[in-house]
Amino acid sequence: MIKATALSKHYGATRAVDDLTFEARDGVVTGFLGPNGAGKSTTMRMILGLDHPSAGSVTIGERPYQSLRWPLREVGALLDASSVHPGRSARNHLLSLAQSNAIPPSRVDEVLDIVGLTKVASRKAGKFSLGMSQRLGIAGALLGDPGVLLFDEPINGLDPEGILWVRNLLKSLATEGRTILVSSHLMSEMAQTATELIVIGKGRLIAQTSVDDFITSNTVATVLVRSPEPTRLASVIDAAGGSWQPGEDGSILVTKINASAIGDAAAAAGLALHELSPQNASLEEVFMDLTSDATEYHATALPGAGS
Amino acid sequence: MNDGNSQESVARGGRVGIRTLAVSEATKFRSIRSTWISLAIIVVAGIGFSALFSFLIGRSWTGSSQLEHAQFDPVRISQSGIFISQFVAGILGALIVTSEYSTGTIRATLAAAPRRLSVVGAKVIVISAALLVVTEVTAFIAFFVGRSVLINYGGTVVPPGASLIERIARHALPVVNISSPGVARAVFLGGLYLVLVSLLGLGFGLLLRHTTGTIALYVVILLIVPLLAQLLPQGISSHIVPYLPSNLGLAMTTVGSRSTDFAGQLLSTGAATFTLALYAIAAVGIGATAMIRRDA
Repeated sequence: MIKATALSKHYGATRAVDDLTFEARDGVVTGFLGPNGAGKSTTMRMILGLDHPSAGSVTIGERPYQSLRWPLREVGALLDASSVHPGRSARNHLLSLAQSNAIPPSRVDEVLDIVGLTKVASRKAGKFSLGMSQRLGIAGALLGDPGVLLFDEPINGLDPEGILWVRNLLKSLATEGRTILVSSHLMSEMAQTATELIVIGKGRLIAQTSVDDFITSNTVATVLVRSPEPTRLASVIDAAGGSWQPGEDGSILVTKINASAIGDAAAAAGLALHELSPQNASLEEVFMDLTSDATEYHATALPGAGS
Repeated sequence: MNDGNSQESVARGGRVGIRTLAVSEATKFRSIRSTWISLAIIVVAGIGFSALFSFLIGRSWTGSSQLEHAQFDPVRISQSGIFISQFVAGILGALIVTSEYSTGTIRATLAAAPRRLSVVGAKVIVISAALLVVTEVTAFIAFFVGRSVLINYGGTVVPPGASLIERIARHALPVVNISSPGVARAVFLGGLYLVLVSLLGLGFGLLLRHTTGTIALYVVILLIVPLLAQLLPQGISSHIVPYLPSNLGLAMTTVGSRSTDFAGQLLSTGAATFTLALYAIAAVGIGATAMIRRDA
C-alpha cells in the first residue's frame, strides 16, 4: 500500500505538488491521471525518496522509503525508460541493480525472459529502441519481485502489441495482490487498465474514486440537434427546460433534457428537425473538462484558424 | 512474492549497505568501455613518459648545464607521466558520478540505495581500489623502465640526497636503486597521487553533477590556477604555489634535494601527501553533503 498524506513539493513560488493525500491499495491497479505537468512524476519521485517533500509525507506499507532495508525487493519502479547508460549492456545494467540489493544474479535472466529481452541482453542499451528500453525499465522494476510497483507512463513508445502486453502484465501483477500505481495523461488508457483512479491537476487532488464511478458521475449527456430554423429551435428548447449552446455548422448542443423530450417538443411546435443525435462524451472529454482549469500548458488557437 | 526461495535465503536480515553497493558499483565501473580506455591511457602515459624523458635527459646529459644536473631527480622523472594521467584519473572520478546524472541512472541507483552516503562510499572504494592497483603497477614499471634507460646512457648509482657538489664532482648521470632510502616511497606516492586526484574529480562531480562543468573546474584547478599563480608577486605566490595539487604531486615524487624548487618552498613528502589527502576528503565530503541534501 502507498499512502500520501498532505504531500507537497514547492519550487520557489511554484507548487508542483500541493497538499496531496491519497492511497493506492493492494491488489488493484490504481491509475494516476493528470495532464502533463500536473505533478505525477514529482509525486512518484517523492514516493521513492528521490525528491524530498516540502511538506507532508508518503509511506510504503506504513514505512517511509528511506527505512526500507532492501528497497528493490519491496518497491519496483519504472520512472524514465531511457535511464540506462548507453554503453552498458542490458544484463550488466540489471546485474548492478540486483547486486545492490543482494538479489541473486539468476533473477536477472528471469526478468530478461519475462520482458522478452533475453536475446539482446548483451547488447548495449544505447542501441535499444524506445520500446526495448521501456521493456528493460520494466525488467528493472520486476527485479526484486516487489509487492509495490510504480510505472510512470509505461506505454510510451510501445507498439500496439507492447501496449497490450503492459496492460495484461499490470493486471496480472495486481491479481497477485501487489499494489500497482501507474501514471498516464491518457484517460482512455486508464479506463482499460486501472480499477481505481487518482486524478490530479496543477499538483492538487481532483478526485480519488473508482474508474466506473468516475465515468458515470462526470459524464454529461448531450444531444446534438439540427434544424433549418435554429432560432426557433433554441426558444423551443428553452421552453422545454433544456439548456443549449451553439455547435458546429448551425447545430445546437442540448443538455438537461434527453433526445425524446427534444423531439416531442419540436413536433408540438411544428418544427422540422434534420438531426437529433445523443452524444456520448468520451472519457477523454470528461477528463479534459475536469482538468481544463488545472492544465499547466494551454494551447491557444492559431490566429485565423477556425472561426 | 516468491517467498521462501532463493531471494530470502541469500540475505535474510541485513540491508543495502556499502558491501552490496561496492559490488554493484564495481559492475557498473567495469561494464563500460571508457573505464578500460582511461586505465590504458594511465598505463601507457606512465610508462611512456618515463621512458621518453629518461631518454631525452640521458642523451643530452653531457651537454647540459650544472644547474640542470643539480635539479635532476631520477625518481621524479620516472613519475612524470602522472602529470598527464592526472587528467584521465580526474575525469574517471568525475564520470563515475556525472555519467549517472547525464544518463538518469542516478535515480535507479538512489532508489536502490536510499542512504546516499553509502553510495558515495561505494563509489570511492571502487575507484580507489581499481586505480590504486593500476597506478601502482604503472608507477613501479615506469621507475624500472626509466632507470634502465638512464643506465643505457651511462648512468651510475648515486645515493639519493647526495650533495650538489658530489653530483657535479662526479659529473655522472645519477641513477638510484628502488632500495635506496625514500625511493620506493616516492614511487608508491606517484601512484597514490593519481588515486587522490581522482577523488577530487569525484567530489567535484558530486557537487556540480554536469560532466563538462566538472571537467572544466578540475582542469582550472590542476592546470590554470598553477599558471596564474606564477604571475603573482613572489611574496604571495610562495604561499600558494607549494599547496597546488600538481606541486603536491611533485613534492610526493621527489627524493633528492628540494632546494632548487620554488626557492625551497616545496613541501616535504609527508606534508604534501597529507595536504592532498585533506583536499580529497574535503572535496568528497562537500560533494556528498550537497548530493544528500538535493533532489536526485
